[in-house]
Amino acid sequence: MQGQNQQQAYDRGITIFSPDGRLYQVEYAREAVKRGTASVGVRTADGVVLAADRHARSPLLERDSIEKIHKADDHVGIASAGHVADARQLIDLARRQAQINHLRYGEKIGVESLTKEVTDYIQQYTQTGGARPFGVALLVGGIENGEPRLFETDPSGTPYEWQAVAIGGDRDEIQSFLEDEYEDGMDLEGGLSLALRALASVSDDGLDASGVDVATVDVESEQFTTLSEDDVAERVTELELGGESDE
Amino acid sequence: MSNFPDLPGMKNLDANPYEPELASFDELQGDGPGADDEESVVKTGTTTIGISTEEGVIIATDMRASLGGRFVSNKSVQKVEQIHPTAALTLVGSVGGAQSFIRTLRSESDLYDVRRGEPMSISALATLAGNFARGGPFIAINPILGGVDEEGSHVYSIDPAGGVMEDDYTVTGSGMMVAHGKLEDQYSDDLSMEEARELAVEAVYAATERDTGSGNGVYVAEITEEGVDIEGYENFDGAR
Repeated sequence: MQGQNQQQAYDRGITIFSPDGRLYQVEYAREAVKRGTASVGVRTADGVVLAADRHARSPLLERDSIEKIHKADDHVGIASAGHVADARQLIDLARRQAQINHLRYGEKIGVESLTKEVTDYIQQYTQTGGARPFGVALLVGGIENGEPRLFETDPSGTPYEWQAVAIGGDRDEIQSFLEDEYEDGMDLEGGLSLALRALASVSDDGLDASGVDVATVDVESEQFTTLSEDDVAERVTELELGGESDE
Repeated sequence: MSNFPDLPGMKNLDANPYEPELASFDELQGDGPGADDEESVVKTGTTTIGISTEEGVIIATDMRASLGGRFVSNKSVQKVEQIHPTAALTLVGSVGGAQSFIRTLRSESDLYDVRRGEPMSISALATLAGNFARGGPFIAINPILGGVDEEGSHVYSIDPAGGVMEDDYTVTGSGMMVAHGKLEDQYSDDLSMEEARELAVEAVYAATERDTGSGNGVYVAEITEEGVDIEGYENFDGAR
């Protein structure tokens, strides 16, 4: 019996490496991310776009109570995929760190610095006894020194910078779509349609404007802005991404 | 973050954002003499001047440390120190407080630089210095911060209560009134670095002639986008 359990024991504690150097709990946390609905980020020459699938599992659920995209500071937005409750804690951390930067230096925090504050925090939950890793991935998008920046965080606490990226369910499929369709020098509107098309590419019955959350941070205003449902609906119709019900 | 359990080995997220990251104000306090110990604390007395020009910043300081301006305890003090690739700070007030303040700001600036891959802006450095002066154990200090960044040249005065004020030129220390007389007469906003240097040296010279807390020569710092260059002169003629 002991021999049989030996193999499995490596996934009991997060602070234990398996003999081949893996941290199973961290890998399981990545699986938790895949169970969440997808979020997409696109960086363009004049801003960053975040788009997220937030379709409701029941028509009785209030759409606005599904949290996928959050404002971290005036110039930074965060989209999540995975455990919403875990995401909320990290987003609160990001908001606090953004304000601490204002207090200490009188300046807005850089997108890279903010991402690394968050990932350093996530990392501690892969090395501390009694803790469980965060079952969530984030996309951190914003403007830094007039330049659009887009980062991803994962449950291991590694930061990645991207031109365009997807997290959550159907990640691989959406990512290939982005790799095929991404163009250098796209404008913000181009980024918006790419993000919406990417989400639509994995949806069987088309996009429903009320089931998509979209936000941008553009280089001009450096302000996080959420698109209204009407604005999203307009683009969904224009791009012919809607399902049969729209036609 | 108080809604998280404090797990062993985790970074303390409730740290005071106004404090230096590498030491708390309590740790910096040490067992040194308090601010009320007037007679035995070495003060710089001091005249320190900062002038900003198109090309950079000139800082000039005298070289005397004294006990209450009545006894000269040191005749060759360097009262301007580099704290950042393109910024310098003057020591004004209690010598111990000012030296500790400089060490703290220098390490914070280095830490910011290696973490973020770019040096702090001068306004960020001034905000941080104001936070430390306000909350910290640096006792009575009244330094000038001068520096150059992407925005251009900056001169700030930082008061003991944490007040941070930017100006084209500024003076702090016991000789400030004498030096200001010279500056008010001679300053214009189109000075070259050479002209600003000459004016700063003359203003320190005037102060050393009449203020008992200032004297024994002059240190001059030239700050441009290239860096900080500091030289000391026991003789004012050498600096002119």
